[in-house]
Amino acid sequence: MGISIPLVEKEFVAGFRQQKEWAGLIASAFFFGKVGSGLFIMSVFLPSRLGMLVGLLIVLVGKGGAHFLYLGRPWRFWRGMARPQSSWIARGIWAMGLMMVAGFAALSLPVGSSLYMPLTIFAVICAFVVAVYDGFLLTSSPAIPIWNTALMPVMCMFYSFLGGTTMVLFMTHMGFMELSEKFTAILPNLELGLLVANLLIVILFLIGSINTGSAGRESFDLLVKGPYAVPFFSLAIGVGLVFTLLMSIYAGPHASAGTVALITVADLIGHYFIFFLLLKVGVFKPVLGFLKI
Amino acid sequence: MRYGMVIDLKRCVGCQACTVACKSENGNGPGIMYTKVLDQVSGEYPNVRKNFVPVLCNHCKNAPCQRVCPTGATYKREDGLVLVDHDKCMGCRACYVACPYNNRIYLKRGKIKVGYYGKEMTPYEEVKYAEHQDGIVEKCKFCSHRIDEGLTETSCVQTCPADARIFGDLDDSESKVSRLIRSRGGRQPLCEDDTDPSIYYLD
Repeated sequence: MGISIPLVEKEFVAGFRQQKEWAGLIASAFFFGKVGSGLFIMSVFLPSRLGMLVGLLIVLVGKGGAHFLYLGRPWRFWRGMARPQSSWIARGIWAMGLMMVAGFAALSLPVGSSLYMPLTIFAVICAFVVAVYDGFLLTSSPAIPIWNTALMPVMCMFYSFLGGTTMVLFMTHMGFMELSEKFTAILPNLELGLLVANLLIVILFLIGSINTGSAGRESFDLLVKGPYAVPFFSLAIGVGLVFTLLMSIYAGPHASAGTVALITVADLIGHYFIFFLLLKVGVFKPVLGFLKI
Repeated sequence: MRYGMVIDLKRCVGCQACTVACKSENGNGPGIMYTKVLDQVSGEYPNVRKNFVPVLCNHCKNAPCQRVCPTGATYKREDGLVLVDHDKCMGCRACYVACPYNNRIYLKRGKIKVGYYGKEMTPYEEVKYAEHQDGIVEKCKFCSHRIDEGLTETSCVQTCPADARIFGDLDDSESKVSRLIRSRGGRQPLCEDDTDPSIYYLD
Protein backbone atom coordinates (compact mmCIF):
# COMPACT_ATOMS: atom_id res chain seq x y z
CA MET A 1 0.00 0.00 0.00
CA GLY A 2 1.54 3.29 -1.04
CA ILE A 3 1.91 6.20 1.26
CA SER A 4 1.27 9.80 0.36
CA ILE A 5 2.99 12.19 2.73
CA PRO A 6 1.30 15.58 3.08
CA LEU A 7 2.68 19.04 3.83
CA VAL A 8 1.42 19.55 7.36
CA GLU A 9 0.78 22.45 9.71
CA LYS A 10 -0.60 20.63 12.75
CA GLU A 11 1.79 19.84 15.55
CA PHE A 12 0.95 16.16 15.98
CA VAL A 13 0.82 15.01 12.37
CA ALA A 14 3.69 13.44 10.44
CA GLY A 15 4.61 14.90 7.08
CA PHE A 16 6.59 17.55 5.28
CA ARG A 17 6.88 20.67 7.37
CA GLN A 18 7.72 24.23 6.34
CA GLN A 19 10.39 26.03 8.32
CA LYS A 20 8.91 29.09 10.03
CA GLU A 21 11.83 30.63 11.89
CA TRP A 22 13.87 32.29 9.15
CA ALA A 23 11.79 34.76 7.18
CA GLY A 24 11.44 38.57 6.94
CA LEU A 25 14.26 39.83 9.15
CA ILE A 26 16.76 37.22 7.99
CA ALA A 27 15.82 38.00 4.37
CA SER A 28 16.37 41.70 5.16
CA ALA A 29 19.77 40.94 6.67
CA PHE A 30 20.75 38.91 3.59
CA PHE A 31 19.47 41.70 1.33
CA PHE A 32 21.33 44.54 3.05
CA GLY A 33 24.46 42.42 3.39
CA LYS A 34 24.61 41.67 -0.31
CA VAL A 35 23.66 45.14 -1.56
CA GLY A 36 26.03 46.88 0.88
CA SER A 37 29.01 44.64 0.24
CA GLY A 38 28.38 44.74 -3.52
CA LEU A 39 28.29 48.53 -3.46
CA PHE A 40 31.47 48.63 -1.37
CA ILE A 41 33.35 46.32 -3.74
CA MET A 42 32.20 48.21 -6.83
CA SER A 43 33.06 51.56 -5.23
CA VAL A 44 36.61 50.44 -4.44
CA PHE A 45 37.22 49.65 -8.10
CA LEU A 46 35.67 52.85 -9.49
CA PRO A 47 36.91 54.40 -7.05
CA SER A 48 34.38 56.31 -4.95
CA ARG A 49 34.89 57.00 -1.27
CA LEU A 50 31.23 57.99 -0.87
CA GLY A 51 30.14 54.69 -2.40
CA MET A 52 32.47 52.82 -0.04
CA LEU A 53 31.03 54.70 2.93
CA VAL A 54 27.42 54.08 1.91
CA GLY A 55 28.22 50.40 1.33
CA LEU A 56 29.72 50.08 4.80
CA LEU A 57 26.75 51.86 6.38
CA ILE A 58 24.21 49.65 4.56
CA VAL A 59 25.98 46.56 5.90
CA LEU A 60 26.43 47.98 9.40
CA VAL A 61 22.99 49.49 9.93
CA GLY A 62 20.86 47.38 7.57
CA LYS A 63 22.37 43.94 7.96
CA GLY A 64 23.61 44.42 11.52
CA GLY A 65 20.32 45.99 12.58
CA ALA A 66 18.18 43.24 11.05
CA HIS A 67 20.26 40.54 12.73
CA PHE A 68 20.14 42.40 16.02
CA LEU A 69 16.36 42.68 15.87
CA TYR A 70 16.04 39.03 14.95
CA LEU A 71 18.17 37.50 17.71
CA GLY A 72 16.30 36.12 20.68
CA ARG A 73 19.05 37.42 22.97
CA PRO A 74 20.53 40.30 20.97
CA TRP A 75 23.02 41.43 23.62
CA ARG A 76 24.73 38.07 23.35
CA PHE A 77 25.57 38.73 19.67
CA TRP A 78 29.29 38.80 20.48
CA ARG A 79 29.09 35.13 21.45
CA GLY A 80 28.37 34.41 17.79
CA MET A 81 32.07 34.81 17.00
CA ALA A 82 33.06 31.80 19.07
CA ARG A 83 33.05 29.01 16.49
CA PRO A 84 34.32 30.17 13.08
CA GLN A 85 35.92 26.74 12.61
CA SER A 86 32.54 25.17 11.89
CA SER A 87 29.79 27.80 11.76
CA TRP A 88 29.09 30.02 8.77
CA ILE A 89 27.24 32.47 11.02
CA ALA A 90 30.40 32.92 13.07
CA ARG A 91 32.46 33.37 9.89
CA GLY A 92 29.94 35.93 8.66
CA ILE A 93 30.11 37.92 11.90
CA TRP A 94 33.90 37.91 11.75
CA ALA A 95 33.87 38.98 8.09
CA MET A 96 31.37 41.73 8.78
CA GLY A 97 33.31 43.01 11.80
CA LEU A 98 36.64 42.99 9.97
CA MET A 99 35.08 44.64 6.91
CA MET A 100 33.85 47.47 9.14
CA VAL A 101 37.19 47.94 10.90
CA ALA A 102 39.29 47.78 7.72
CA GLY A 103 36.78 49.75 5.63
CA PHE A 104 36.36 52.65 8.04
CA ALA A 105 40.11 52.68 8.77
CA ALA A 106 40.82 52.91 5.02
CA LEU A 107 38.30 55.72 4.63
CA SER A 108 39.93 57.67 7.44
CA LEU A 109 43.26 57.66 5.56
CA PRO A 110 44.21 59.72 2.51
CA VAL A 111 44.22 57.72 -0.74
CA GLY A 112 47.99 57.78 -1.19
CA SER A 113 48.95 56.66 2.31
CA SER A 114 50.90 53.44 2.72
CA LEU A 115 48.16 51.64 4.69
CA TYR A 116 45.28 52.67 2.44
CA MET A 117 45.73 49.98 -0.19
CA PRO A 118 46.34 46.99 2.15
CA LEU A 119 43.35 47.97 4.31
CA THR A 120 41.14 48.42 1.26
CA ILE A 121 42.14 45.08 -0.25
CA PHE A 122 41.49 43.37 3.10
CA ALA A 123 38.09 45.10 3.38
CA VAL A 124 37.19 43.97 -0.15
CA ILE A 125 38.05 40.35 0.72
CA CYS A 126 35.87 40.60 3.85
CA ALA A 127 33.07 42.24 1.84
CA PHE A 128 33.21 39.35 -0.63
CA VAL A 129 32.80 36.90 2.26
CA VAL A 130 29.86 38.96 3.58
CA ALA A 131 28.29 38.78 0.10
CA VAL A 132 28.54 35.01 -0.28
CA TYR A 133 28.46 33.51 3.23
CA ASP A 134 24.64 33.52 3.33
CA GLY A 135 24.75 31.04 0.50
CA PHE A 136 27.18 28.77 2.34
CA LEU A 137 25.09 29.14 5.48
CA LEU A 138 21.99 27.91 3.68
CA THR A 139 23.93 25.18 1.91
CA SER A 140 25.31 23.89 5.21
CA SER A 141 21.81 23.02 6.41
CA PRO A 142 21.17 19.39 5.45
CA ALA A 143 17.61 19.60 6.76
CA ILE A 144 16.20 21.70 3.94
CA PRO A 145 17.10 20.25 0.54
CA ILE A 146 16.16 23.25 -1.62
CA TRP A 147 18.82 25.31 0.16
CA ASN A 148 21.34 22.52 0.03
CA THR A 149 22.78 23.28 -3.40
CA ALA A 150 26.11 24.59 -4.61
CA LEU A 151 24.32 27.21 -6.69
CA MET A 152 23.24 29.09 -3.55
CA PRO A 153 26.60 30.84 -2.87
CA VAL A 154 26.96 31.56 -6.61
CA MET A 155 23.52 33.14 -6.66
CA CYS A 156 24.40 35.24 -3.60
CA MET A 157 27.59 36.45 -5.28
CA PHE A 158 25.88 37.45 -8.52
CA TYR A 159 22.99 39.15 -6.70
CA SER A 160 25.51 41.06 -4.62
CA PHE A 161 27.39 42.27 -7.70
CA LEU A 162 24.10 43.18 -9.38
CA GLY A 163 22.89 45.09 -6.30
CA GLY A 164 26.21 46.91 -6.07
CA THR A 165 26.22 47.84 -9.75
CA THR A 166 22.63 49.05 -9.59
CA MET A 167 23.39 51.21 -6.57
CA VAL A 168 26.44 52.70 -8.26
CA LEU A 169 24.39 53.57 -11.35
CA PHE A 170 21.70 55.07 -9.15
CA MET A 171 24.16 57.18 -7.15
CA THR A 172 25.87 58.33 -10.36
CA HIS A 173 22.63 59.39 -12.03
CA MET A 174 21.51 61.16 -8.85
CA GLY A 175 24.74 63.14 -8.88
CA PHE A 176 26.33 61.60 -5.77
CA MET A 177 29.15 59.94 -7.70
CA GLU A 178 31.28 60.83 -10.66
CA LEU A 179 32.55 58.10 -12.92
CA SER A 180 35.35 58.20 -15.45
CA GLU A 181 34.31 57.91 -19.10
CA LYS A 182 35.55 54.34 -19.21
CA PHE A 183 33.30 53.25 -16.34
CA THR A 184 30.37 55.31 -17.60
CA ALA A 185 30.48 53.16 -20.74
CA ILE A 186 31.14 49.86 -18.97
CA LEU A 187 28.67 49.94 -16.08
CA PRO A 188 25.37 49.83 -18.01
CA ASN A 189 26.69 46.86 -19.99
CA LEU A 190 27.87 45.20 -16.79
CA GLU A 191 24.39 45.69 -15.34
CA LEU A 192 22.84 44.03 -18.40
CA GLY A 193 25.30 41.16 -18.22
CA LEU A 194 24.62 40.62 -14.51
CA LEU A 195 20.85 40.70 -15.04
CA VAL A 196 21.11 38.01 -17.72
CA ALA A 197 23.50 35.98 -15.55
CA ASN A 198 21.15 36.20 -12.55
CA LEU A 199 18.18 35.18 -14.64
CA LEU A 200 20.11 32.16 -15.90
CA ILE A 201 21.23 31.22 -12.38
CA VAL A 202 17.67 31.41 -11.06
CA ILE A 203 16.47 29.20 -13.93
CA LEU A 204 19.28 26.71 -13.28
CA PHE A 205 18.50 26.77 -9.58
CA LEU A 206 14.85 25.98 -10.26
CA ILE A 207 15.71 23.14 -12.65
CA GLY A 208 18.15 21.73 -10.11
CA SER A 209 15.70 21.96 -7.24
CA ILE A 210 13.26 19.61 -8.99
CA ASN A 211 15.69 16.79 -8.34
CA THR A 212 16.61 17.52 -4.73
CA GLY A 213 14.42 14.76 -3.35
CA SER A 214 10.85 14.76 -2.13
CA ALA A 215 11.21 17.72 0.26
CA GLY A 216 13.02 19.73 -2.42
CA ARG A 217 10.16 18.96 -4.78
CA GLU A 218 7.66 20.17 -2.15
CA SER A 219 9.62 23.43 -1.91
CA PHE A 220 9.72 23.73 -5.69
CA ASP A 221 5.95 23.20 -5.89
CA LEU A 222 5.34 25.81 -3.20
CA LEU A 223 7.49 28.27 -5.12
CA VAL A 224 6.18 27.79 -8.64
CA LYS A 225 2.66 26.41 -8.12
CA GLY A 226 1.70 27.05 -4.53
CA PRO A 227 0.91 30.16 -2.50
CA TYR A 228 4.29 31.75 -3.23
CA ALA A 229 4.06 31.45 -7.01
CA VAL A 230 2.41 34.86 -7.50
CA PRO A 231 5.03 36.91 -5.59
CA PHE A 232 7.79 34.74 -7.04
CA PHE A 233 6.86 35.21 -10.68
CA SER A 234 5.63 38.79 -10.33
CA LEU A 235 8.09 40.35 -7.89
CA ALA A 236 11.23 38.20 -7.82
CA ILE A 237 11.34 37.31 -11.52
CA GLY A 238 8.99 39.77 -13.25
CA VAL A 239 9.86 43.02 -11.52
CA GLY A 240 13.32 42.10 -10.27
CA LEU A 241 14.84 40.60 -13.38
CA VAL A 242 12.66 40.75 -16.52
CA PHE A 243 11.31 44.30 -16.10
CA THR A 244 14.73 45.53 -14.98
CA LEU A 245 16.39 43.86 -17.95
CA LEU A 246 13.89 45.24 -20.47
CA MET A 247 14.07 48.72 -18.97
CA SER A 248 17.86 48.63 -19.00
CA ILE A 249 17.90 47.60 -22.67
CA TYR A 250 15.23 50.14 -23.60
CA ALA A 251 16.73 53.05 -21.67
CA GLY A 252 20.34 52.30 -22.66
CA PRO A 253 23.39 53.97 -21.15
CA HIS A 254 21.87 57.48 -21.29
CA ALA A 255 18.76 56.78 -19.22
CA SER A 256 17.18 59.63 -17.29
CA ALA A 257 17.55 59.85 -13.52
CA GLY A 258 13.90 58.86 -13.07
CA THR A 259 14.28 55.75 -15.23
CA VAL A 260 17.40 54.71 -13.35
CA ALA A 261 15.58 55.24 -10.03
CA LEU A 262 12.76 53.02 -11.30
CA ILE A 263 15.21 50.32 -12.41
CA THR A 264 16.95 50.51 -9.03
CA VAL A 265 13.73 50.13 -7.07
CA ALA A 266 12.61 47.22 -9.28
CA ASP A 267 15.97 45.51 -8.95
CA LEU A 268 16.01 45.86 -5.16
CA ILE A 269 12.43 44.58 -4.85
CA GLY A 270 13.36 41.50 -6.86
CA HIS A 271 16.54 41.04 -4.86
CA TYR A 272 14.69 41.11 -1.53
CA PHE A 273 11.85 38.86 -2.60
CA ILE A 274 13.88 36.11 -4.20
CA PHE A 275 15.72 35.37 -0.96
CA PHE A 276 12.66 35.99 1.19
CA LEU A 277 10.68 33.46 -0.84
CA LEU A 278 13.51 30.93 -0.91
CA LEU A 279 13.56 31.10 2.89
CA LYS A 280 9.79 30.77 3.11
CA VAL A 281 9.60 27.64 0.93
CA GLY A 282 12.17 25.73 2.98
CA VAL A 283 10.63 22.35 3.76
CA PHE A 284 11.84 19.70 6.22
CA LYS A 285 11.72 16.07 5.26
CA PRO A 286 9.35 13.81 7.22
CA VAL A 287 11.27 12.03 9.98
CA LEU A 288 10.16 8.57 8.93
CA GLY A 289 9.86 8.95 5.19
CA PHE A 290 10.84 5.30 4.82
CA LEU A 291 7.90 4.04 6.85
CA LYS A 292 5.68 1.77 4.78
CA ILE A 293 2.54 0.60 6.51
CA MET B 1 29.51 5.03 26.23
CA ARG B 2 26.86 6.39 23.90
CA TYR B 3 23.33 6.77 25.16
CA GLY B 4 20.60 6.06 22.68
CA MET B 5 16.99 5.02 22.38
CA VAL B 6 15.09 2.38 20.52
CA ILE B 7 11.47 3.11 19.62
CA ASP B 8 9.26 0.16 18.75
CA LEU B 9 6.62 1.50 16.39
CA LYS B 10 4.59 -1.70 16.67
CA ARG B 11 4.16 -1.14 20.39
CA CYS B 12 3.39 2.59 20.42
CA VAL B 13 -0.31 3.20 21.05
CA GLY B 14 -0.18 6.98 20.59
CA CYS B 15 -1.31 7.79 24.13
CA GLN B 16 1.06 10.79 24.44
CA ALA B 17 1.98 9.73 27.98
CA CYS B 18 5.64 10.31 27.03
CA THR B 19 4.77 13.84 25.89
CA VAL B 20 3.11 14.64 29.19
CA ALA B 21 5.81 12.96 31.27
CA CYS B 22 8.49 14.97 29.47
CA LYS B 23 6.64 18.23 29.98
CA SER B 24 6.15 17.42 33.63
CA GLU B 25 9.77 16.38 34.15
CA ASN B 26 11.18 19.47 32.48
CA GLY B 27 8.49 21.96 33.45
CA ASN B 28 7.82 23.01 29.88
CA GLY B 29 5.24 25.70 29.29
CA PRO B 30 2.34 25.70 26.82
CA GLY B 31 3.36 24.69 23.32
CA ILE B 32 6.84 23.51 24.33
CA MET B 33 7.38 19.82 23.74
CA TYR B 34 10.76 18.10 23.69
CA THR B 35 9.06 14.93 22.54
CA LYS B 36 5.69 14.15 21.03
CA VAL B 37 3.93 11.42 19.10
CA LEU B 38 2.99 12.15 15.49
CA ASP B 39 0.08 10.54 13.69
CA GLN B 40 0.68 9.06 10.28
CA VAL B 41 -2.38 7.95 8.33
CA SER B 42 -2.16 5.90 5.17
CA GLY B 43 -4.31 3.94 2.80
CA GLU B 44 -7.74 4.56 1.36
CA TYR B 45 -11.13 3.83 2.85
CA PRO B 46 -11.93 1.18 4.00
CA ASN B 47 -8.30 0.05 4.30
CA VAL B 48 -7.00 2.90 6.39
CA ARG B 49 -4.31 2.58 9.02
CA LYS B 50 -2.89 4.96 11.56
CA ASN B 51 0.63 4.66 12.83
CA PHE B 52 2.20 6.57 15.66
CA VAL B 53 5.67 8.00 15.36
CA PRO B 54 7.26 9.26 18.59
CA VAL B 55 9.84 11.97 17.82
CA LEU B 56 12.48 13.70 19.91
CA CYS B 57 16.02 15.02 19.55
CA ASN B 58 18.12 12.29 17.96
CA HIS B 59 21.34 13.21 19.82
CA CYS B 60 23.24 12.65 16.58
CA LYS B 61 26.86 11.56 16.63
CA ASN B 62 27.52 13.95 13.75
CA ALA B 63 25.06 16.64 14.87
CA PRO B 64 24.42 19.41 12.29
CA CYS B 65 23.00 21.61 15.06
CA GLN B 66 26.32 21.51 16.88
CA ARG B 67 28.25 22.22 13.67
CA VAL B 68 26.24 25.31 12.72
CA CYS B 69 25.97 26.79 16.23
CA PRO B 70 28.07 29.99 16.17
CA THR B 71 28.29 30.43 19.93
CA GLY B 72 29.20 26.92 21.05
CA ALA B 73 25.95 26.79 23.04
CA THR B 74 25.17 23.40 21.51
CA TYR B 75 27.74 20.92 22.69
CA LYS B 76 28.25 17.20 22.93
CA ARG B 77 29.04 15.25 26.06
CA GLU B 78 31.30 12.21 26.17
CA ASP B 79 28.28 9.99 26.76
CA GLY B 80 26.78 11.12 23.42
CA LEU B 81 24.23 13.59 24.75
CA VAL B 82 23.84 16.76 22.67
CA LEU B 83 22.92 19.59 25.02
CA VAL B 84 22.33 23.35 24.90
CA ASP B 85 24.03 25.76 27.30
CA HIS B 86 21.20 28.24 27.88
CA ASP B 87 23.57 31.00 28.93
CA LYS B 88 25.49 30.88 25.66
CA CYS B 89 22.60 30.68 23.18
CA MET B 90 21.86 33.97 21.41
CA GLY B 91 18.69 32.76 19.67
CA CYS B 92 19.90 32.86 16.04
CA ARG B 93 18.00 29.62 15.31
CA ALA B 94 20.65 28.26 12.96
CA CYS B 95 20.32 24.94 14.80
CA TYR B 96 16.57 25.02 14.28
CA VAL B 97 16.90 25.11 10.49
CA ALA B 98 19.86 22.72 10.48
CA CYS B 99 18.16 19.94 12.46
CA PRO B 100 16.82 17.44 9.88
CA TYR B 101 14.38 16.14 12.48
CA ASN B 102 12.87 19.55 13.23
CA ASN B 103 13.15 18.81 16.93
CA ARG B 104 14.33 22.11 18.29
CA ILE B 105 12.05 24.59 19.99
CA TYR B 106 12.53 28.33 19.99
CA LEU B 107 11.13 29.97 23.12
CA LYS B 108 9.79 33.29 21.91
CA ARG B 109 10.45 36.27 24.11
CA GLY B 110 7.77 36.37 26.79
CA LYS B 111 6.67 32.79 26.16
CA ILE B 112 7.67 31.43 29.56
CA LYS B 113 6.04 34.30 31.37
CA VAL B 114 2.65 32.73 30.71
CA GLY B 115 1.60 29.53 32.48
CA TYR B 116 -1.15 27.07 31.71
CA TYR B 117 -3.64 29.11 33.68
CA GLY B 118 -2.85 32.57 32.38
CA LYS B 119 -0.37 35.06 33.74
CA GLU B 120 -0.67 33.86 37.30
CA MET B 121 1.60 30.85 37.61
CA THR B 122 1.19 27.82 39.82
CA PRO B 123 3.93 27.23 42.42
CA TYR B 124 5.17 24.34 40.23
CA GLU B 125 5.40 26.59 37.19
CA GLU B 126 7.21 29.26 39.15
CA VAL B 127 9.91 26.79 40.18
CA LYS B 128 10.22 25.00 36.85
CA TYR B 129 10.00 28.01 34.52
CA ALA B 130 12.97 29.52 36.33
CA GLU B 131 15.10 26.74 34.77
CA HIS B 132 14.29 28.07 31.28
CA GLN B 133 15.17 31.25 29.42
CA ASP B 134 13.14 32.89 26.69
CA GLY B 135 14.70 34.04 23.42
CA ILE B 136 16.76 30.87 23.10
CA VAL B 137 16.46 27.43 21.55
CA GLU B 138 15.82 24.35 23.68
CA LYS B 139 15.47 20.65 23.01
CA CYS B 140 15.31 17.19 24.55
CA LYS B 141 18.19 16.58 26.96
CA PHE B 142 17.76 12.81 27.20
CA CYS B 143 16.99 13.69 30.83
CA SER B 144 20.65 14.48 31.48
CA HIS B 145 19.77 15.55 35.03
CA ARG B 146 18.35 12.09 35.73
CA ILE B 147 21.36 10.36 34.19
CA ASP B 148 23.67 12.54 36.27
CA GLU B 149 21.75 11.43 39.37
CA GLY B 150 22.41 7.80 38.49
CA LEU B 151 18.98 6.95 37.10
CA THR B 152 19.00 4.63 34.11
CA GLU B 153 15.85 5.76 32.28
CA THR B 154 14.58 8.96 30.85
CA SER B 155 11.21 10.21 31.98
CA CYS B 156 9.46 9.27 28.72
CA VAL B 157 10.89 5.72 28.83
CA GLN B 158 9.84 5.25 32.44
CA THR B 159 6.31 6.41 31.69
CA CYS B 160 5.61 4.56 28.43
CA PRO B 161 2.86 2.04 29.26
CA ALA B 162 3.51 -0.04 26.13
CA ASP B 163 7.27 -0.36 26.65
CA ALA B 164 7.70 1.19 23.20
CA ARG B 165 10.74 3.21 24.25
CA ILE B 166 13.94 1.58 25.44
CA PHE B 167 16.93 3.59 26.63
CA GLY B 168 20.49 2.36 26.98
CA ASP B 169 24.11 2.31 25.87
CA LEU B 170 24.54 1.80 22.13
CA ASP B 171 28.25 1.09 22.56
CA ASP B 172 27.55 -1.87 24.84
CA SER B 173 26.84 -4.80 22.54
CA GLU B 174 24.98 -6.64 25.30
CA SER B 175 22.66 -3.77 26.27
CA LYS B 176 18.96 -4.19 25.56
CA VAL B 177 19.02 -1.45 22.90
CA SER B 178 21.92 -3.05 21.05
CA ARG B 179 20.30 -6.48 21.15
CA LEU B 180 17.02 -5.11 19.84
CA ILE B 181 18.73 -3.25 17.00
CA ARG B 182 20.64 -6.42 16.11
CA SER B 183 17.70 -8.74 16.24
CA ARG B 184 15.02 -6.54 14.66
CA GLY B 185 17.06 -4.33 12.35
CA GLY B 186 16.64 -0.92 13.92
CA ARG B 187 16.56 1.93 11.45
CA GLN B 188 17.98 5.38 12.00
CA PRO B 189 15.74 8.18 10.70
CA LEU B 190 17.04 10.21 7.76
CA CYS B 191 20.35 8.37 7.92
CA GLU B 192 21.08 9.63 4.39
CA ASP B 193 21.96 12.98 5.96
CA ASP B 194 25.01 11.36 7.59
CA THR B 195 24.00 12.49 11.06
CA ASP B 196 24.27 9.06 12.71
CA PRO B 197 21.35 9.61 15.09
CA SER B 198 21.15 7.81 18.45
CA ILE B 199 17.48 6.97 17.96
CA TYR B 200 16.58 3.73 16.24
CA TYR B 201 13.08 2.82 15.07
CA LEU B 202 11.81 -0.74 14.92
CA ASP B 203 9.00 -1.23 12.43
